[in-house]
Amino acid sequence: MNNRQKQGYIAAIAAVVLLAVLPLKIGSHSVLSLMHLDVSILSEMLLFAIAAMSVNLLLGYTGLMSFGNAAYFGLGAYGAGLSIHYLNMNFIEGAIIGTIVALLGGLIVGPFLLRRRGIYFALLTLAFGQVFYFIAYRANEFTGGEDGMSFPRPYFGFPGWHTDLHEGSFYYLMLLVFAVVLVGFWLIVRSPFGRTLQAIRQNELRVRYLGLDSNKFIFVALLVSAAMAGLAGALYGLLIMFAAPLMLDWQQSGDFVMIMILGGAGSIWGPVVGSLIYVIGKDIISTLTQTWQIYIGALFVICVLAFPGGLLGTLLNSIARRDVGAPISEETVPHKAWESGAPASSAAVAAEQKES
Amino acid sequence: MAEVLLEAKNVSKHFGGVVAVNSVSITIEQGSIYAVIGPNGAGKTTFFNALSGFYMPDGGQVLYKGQDITTMPNWQRVQLGMSRTFQTPSIFPELTVYENLLIGVQSQQKIAFRLRLPSVARKKEIDARIDELLGFVNLVHLKDRPVAELSHGSQRLCEIAMSLSVDPTIVLLDEPMAGLAEAETERIMRVIRDLHDRLDLTVLFVEHNMRVVLALADHITVLDRGAMLAQGTPSEISNSQIVREAYLGQEVLNRV
Repeated sequence: MNNRQKQGYIAAIAAVVLLAVLPLKIGSHSVLSLMHLDVSILSEMLLFAIAAMSVNLLLGYTGLMSFGNAAYFGLGAYGAGLSIHYLNMNFIEGAIIGTIVALLGGLIVGPFLLRRRGIYFALLTLAFGQVFYFIAYRANEFTGGEDGMSFPRPYFGFPGWHTDLHEGSFYYLMLLVFAVVLVGFWLIVRSPFGRTLQAIRQNELRVRYLGLDSNKFIFVALLVSAAMAGLAGALYGLLIMFAAPLMLDWQQSGDFVMIMILGGAGSIWGPVVGSLIYVIGKDIISTLTQTWQIYIGALFVICVLAFPGGLLGTLLNSIARRDVGAPISEETVPHKAWESGAPASSAAVAAEQKES
Repeated sequence: MAEVLLEAKNVSKHFGGVVAVNSVSITIEQGSIYAVIGPNGAGKTTFFNALSGFYMPDGGQVLYKGQDITTMPNWQRVQLGMSRTFQTPSIFPELTVYENLLIGVQSQQKIAFRLRLPSVARKKEIDARIDELLGFVNLVHLKDRPVAELSHGSQRLCEIAMSLSVDPTIVLLDEPMAGLAEAETERIMRVIRDLHDRLDLTVLFVEHNMRVVLALADHITVLDRGAMLAQGTPSEISNSQIVREAYLGQEVLNRV
């Protein structure tokens, strides 16, 4: 394990511990309450981070711009809401069904998305996202239409044991889910599969000319992304006990993209940092002014212009640059190394030159 | 006579009204170094792309070991044993030289789709294979550098190593000397010769430099304006009256 990896593990553990400690009360106050923040805002932050990670898998790692991941997020929320409302499902079943519904959404649109790349891929994700939005909007009797649907938060538990989740315990459950998703994401991106995705982002043609069916990889990435966004959406629905068409809307997709870019695309922690800034920033600024979007928008513009790698990405890059030091010159290796590599053939070429 | 490895039968390709390749046929035997030569715009690269599955030809057939692969997707052709390079090196610029080769070796070992990391033994095997490939093109010392930082010539060598990483039977090189200085041209020429002499590979390459082609190839096809002008051994081509008059010019041949 090198130093860089060690620092990464320490930072990851420190971040999770910090997140776990934030709501704890010392006396009658916690860090959170001193900041006038509610614990559910942290749950929201974690869930938006998972949704932004799902966009990151596509854009940051595979190089595919998705403006439709809110569709999976919303499908997750509706999947959970509808199964709880109509089928009396419990908490875990609702979350699983929400995720599966989003995965099915990905299975349906995936084959169409695979046919295009670049800007046309982005437009297709946008268009399919809006299809789901209008279905939720129009299916009045079933989904509550424009007003959305409220549903109760069921007991959390297994046969034989269950508990009522209040906001605090809900948050710790979210922290557990978040940690599992984070580790899973980390395992995926450093696996042979994840490395191939990163190669596709840089040069899909070369990947194909290395004998790999890039479509197969992209399809699986789409499904993983849909399931992640769906899980986040289902849990978000359970957090606010509500599902509405706006959760499927392209504006929501845009928020996920923005969160990812704020923190830094292509890094594991980027979307988490982005989500922290976005959700907490939104909460604080919106208590001060009704036009909070202006300030978030301005922050976004500043980030894109000043830190094109995202806030975390830029920070990490500057650290990495300090670690590496001066680059090695290609010229430091003597030409001799080449000569000794192919003695037989160099003699042959020399002989040919003499002949002519 | 050696076994026929790759065969093109009357391959044609047009773009709109422009006929880029007009009924070109070649037969490449196992173990040969085959060159397709012609001036700019002769249709060399178009023909090459039709052979390698970059796009489908509009007419004719492509056969690999007798199997019709005319409409086969490019990644499947690579699995059969045909790999290729591009005029502008097609690499993963932000990845290191090592990682560039890793993608190819993972593909060859059929583990690219896996979610778990390779075992320690497998990792050793992969690293040894990458070292072997880098040793072949002499890039071992640049292993941990991002490919984008390499010189054009080194990028091309890296791409050749990548095309070898999938264990091909035939390597297709699209203008391997394009944009290189004289010394680097020599390096690539030696590598092409080594592909044949040391690795027993069949090589097909596209080139417009006659000196390079005559020095390396054992079979040559000359294209001009999309059509076949002549076909034969280097001595047949350099003695061909048609090639001399229509395309090369006496001066070029004298220099050779």
